[in-house]
Amino acid sequence: MVTREDVINIARLSKLYIAEEDLDEMTKAMADIVKFADTINNASEDGVEFDNINNLSNAFREDEVVPSYDRDEILSNANDTDEGHFLVRKRV
Amino acid sequence: MAEGMITRFGRMLRDKELSCTELTEKYLTQIEQANGDLNAYVKVTPEEALKTAKAVDEKIAKGEELSALEGIPMTLKDNISTKGIETTCCSKILEGYKPIYNATVWETLRNSNAVLLGKTNMDEFAMGSSSETSYFGGSANPHDITRVAGGSSGGVASAVGGNIAVYGLGSDTGGSIRQPASFCGIVGLKPTYGAVSRFGLIAYASSFDQIGPITTTVEDAAIVYDAISGYDKMDSTSRGRVGDPTVNSLKNDIKGMKIGIADEYLDGVNDDVRALIEKACAVYESLGAQIVRFKLPSLKYALPVYYILACAEASSNLGRYDGIRYGYRTSSYNDINEMVCKTRSEGFGAEVQRRILLGTYVLSAGYYDAYYKKAQNLRGSIVNAFKAAFESCDVILAPTVPMTAFKKGSAVSDPIQTYLTDICTVPVNIAGLPGVSIPCGFDKDNMPVGMQLIGNTFCESTILNAAWQYENAAGADVFRQSAYGVKL
Repeated sequence: MVTREDVINIARLSKLYIAEEDLDEMTKAMADIVKFADTINNASEDGVEFDNINNLSNAFREDEVVPSYDRDEILSNANDTDEGHFLVRKRV
Repeated sequence: MAEGMITRFGRMLRDKELSCTELTEKYLTQIEQANGDLNAYVKVTPEEALKTAKAVDEKIAKGEELSALEGIPMTLKDNISTKGIETTCCSKILEGYKPIYNATVWETLRNSNAVLLGKTNMDEFAMGSSSETSYFGGSANPHDITRVAGGSSGGVASAVGGNIAVYGLGSDTGGSIRQPASFCGIVGLKPTYGAVSRFGLIAYASSFDQIGPITTTVEDAAIVYDAISGYDKMDSTSRGRVGDPTVNSLKNDIKGMKIGIADEYLDGVNDDVRALIEKACAVYESLGAQIVRFKLPSLKYALPVYYILACAEASSNLGRYDGIRYGYRTSSYNDINEMVCKTRSEGFGAEVQRRILLGTYVLSAGYYDAYYKKAQNLRGSIVNAFKAAFESCDVILAPTVPMTAFKKGSAVSDPIQTYLTDICTVPVNIAGLPGVSIPCGFDKDNMPVGMQLIGNTFCESTILNAAWQYENAAGADVFRQSAYGVKL
C-alpha cells in the first residue's frame, strides 16, 4: 500500500516537489500503478538470471586521445556561465 | 502499393519530372496548410530543407548518381538530436536546447542529402501512447482529426499518414513506432535491439529504446532501415545489421513460411481487429504459408514487467535534467537543491513525473527485490519463451494494438487504461526483437487497423518479406490515403 509519506519520500529521492494539493491524487495514482506492478508476484520464474538484452560482453579497444567537443559550444546551452564554467548562483 | 514512394520520387527526380526544390516546396506548402489540423510538426526547418534540395538539384544538373534517399523529404521525431536545431523531446525542460552533435542516424541520412522538413511531435520524453503528453499538445489522426495519432511517435505518424513527409524516423521503447503507425494506417518498423545506433537519441529506457522508420509502404521501410542500420562505435550496445540489405529479399516466395499465432495476443482484442487478423491468416495461407498456433503464457506479465523496468531506467536517465548545463531553469530559488527540485517539478509534465516516481520506487531499498529484480528475471523468461516459439515458426503474427485510434482526451484521464493499449507491442521490446506494423484493413468507423509481424533477432529481412507479400496481395483493401498533404 502506497502512503502519502511514501510519495513524499520517493519525491525527495527523485528531486521533485509534489505540491500539497496534488499529494492525494499522486498517492492514488502511485497506488494504482504499484498494484498493477504487483501482478508480477503471481508469476513463477524460470530461475534464469537475466543479464543484458543483446548478450554483449565487454568490448575492449585501445584508449586513444581524440578531439572532443568545443568548450564554448557545450556552454552555449547553459543558462549561466562564467570563465568557461557552468554557473549556479548562490542566491537570486 | 508494391512500389514505394521513395523509389517513385527518386525516379521522378532522376528523370527530371520535377526538381528537388519543387518537391520540397510542395511539402513545405502542404505542411503550412495541414499542420494547423494535424499538429504533427513542432518545428519546421525550411532553410535546411531548401539548402539540401538545392545541393541535390546541382548534382542532378551535373548528371551525378543519386543514392536511394537523396532528395527525399523526411522528418525526425523530436528526441533525435540535430546539431544546431532545437531538440526538445516535447518537454518544457528542454526548451531552447540545441544539440552540439547529430544523432548517428541523422548524420548518416544528412550525408546522403536527406531533406529534413522539420522535427515532429511526440509524447513528452516518449512517455505515452497518444502524443498528448507533449508540451505542445497532441497530434491528430489524419483519417479523423477528432482522434489521436497514437504515440509516442505520433507526430511522425501523423506527418507520414497526412502526406506531409515521405518518411520519418521515430523511436520505439514499448510500441512507439508501431502503435502510431497502426493508428494512422501506415508502416512502422521497430528493429532488433542493437541494429540501429542509439547515439544521439535522447534516452527514455536505454535497454528498450530503438530508432526505426515510419513509412507508407513496406519497401520504403526496408530502404530506410538498410540505410540507418549498422555498427556504431558511439553506441556501446550497437551490433549493426546482420546479413544482406533487406530490400533484396522483399519479393522472395513465402511458400512454406511458418507464421505463428499466439492465443494470448488475441485476448481482449476488439472484434473488428480480431476478424482482420483472421482474414490476414487466410491471405497468408493463400500465398502458401502455413499457420502455426501456439501459446505464450508468460506474455500476461509483459506489461507490468515493461512498466517496472522502463520506469526504473527512466528515473535514472532523467536524473541528468537539473537546469545547470542545458534546458529550462526555474526563475527563483534559494539554494542548489531547491533550484534542481523546482526546475524538475516545473519542467517535467505529470506523466513523466509519475514514471520517475514509479522508477525510483521500484529501485529503492526494500522494493528492489520485489519489483526490479523480479521483473528482470521475468524479462529473461519472456526472452526464452520467444526463443522457443521461433523453433516452431519463422514469424509471429499479432495485432499491433487491441483497438483503433481513440478520441482525443480519453487517454489522459486514466494512466493504467492507457498502459493497457501497449499490451501487444511491449513484448517485442522486452525481448529485443524486430517487429513491423502494417495496415490490414479498417474497422466499422473506417479507422485503420494494423497488424504486427514479429521476427527472431536480426531477422528483419524475414518479417519485411512477409510484410511485403501481404501488402502486395491485399493491396488497395488495406491502404487508403488520407485527405491531407501532397498528392503526386
